Amino acid sequence: MTSPVAADVAPVEIDEPSIDTNLGIDRPWIVLVWNDPINLMSYVTYVLQKVFGYSNEKAQSLMLDVHEKGRAVVANGSKEKAELDVFRLHEHGLWATMQQD
Amino acid sequence: MAFGFKRTIQSKGPDRFIINLRDDLREVIAAVCDDVLAALDDENSPERDPMLRRVFPVAHASDESVNEAYRDLVHSDLLRTRREALERVSATARDTELDRATLETWMVGLNTVRLVLGTRLDVSEDGFPQLEPDDPELPAWALYEFLGVLVGMVVDALARTV
Repeated sequence: MTSPVAADVAPVEIDEPSIDTNLGIDRPWIVLVWNDPINLMSYVTYVLQKVFGYSNEKAQSLMLDVHEKGRAVVANGSKEKAELDVFRLHEHGLWATMQQD
Repeated sequence: MAFGFKRTIQSKGPDRFIINLRDDLREVIAAVCDDVLAALDDENSPERDPMLRRVFPVAHASDESVNEAYRDLVHSDLLRTRREALERVSATARDTELDRATLETWMVGLNTVRLVLGTRLDVSEDGFPQLEPDDPELPAWALYEFLGVLVGMVVDALARTV
């Protein structure tokens, strides 16, 4: 599956940075997947393998974290990378959000 | 579904899958994809709110500026890939053989339908509720369960041939 957003992510400055975001501008972002009652466990595992290239073992353990703890950090990195990750997870119907660590 | 001896989805290697489904179930698959496609275009559709909430979710739990930027960045791409997946599933619902890319599209497309339907039914972790035989929601629940079984089988077929 392609990632059509990749080309658009680049250098555009979208927000007027506030004081808070200025302070944290280099801090990495984390990508969270939240538990939901609809997506199958096997589906979530497969999507994590496919989107991030994780092993079945790693994907399954993240999925179980989501299931049991309500959420799990599945990736981290720059804001642009986090946006792309969230987009790919949303494409697959997972309930994902991003935030500054 | 082929009750009996054949697997519903047989893998013939990583890029070739045989789909053993009854014709009437194939029609159901095409119809539900067409329904969600129509709902995407219809601002008055009852599916629209759950769809916006669950199929086009926010990117940040609380930061509206992040959400706005994200929406500007991806909404049209998300809508387009969504539509393409549903159109592709609908167009191939009657095929008896699918390549891997198309089966992955089935997985995502059918899961989208489950998300819309499940959100409308307000599905919880408790699963299938106790319903009277004449409950008006029973057909939607049956459809939701059928799609769940089917998505599960699609995932299994893909996962065992990774």
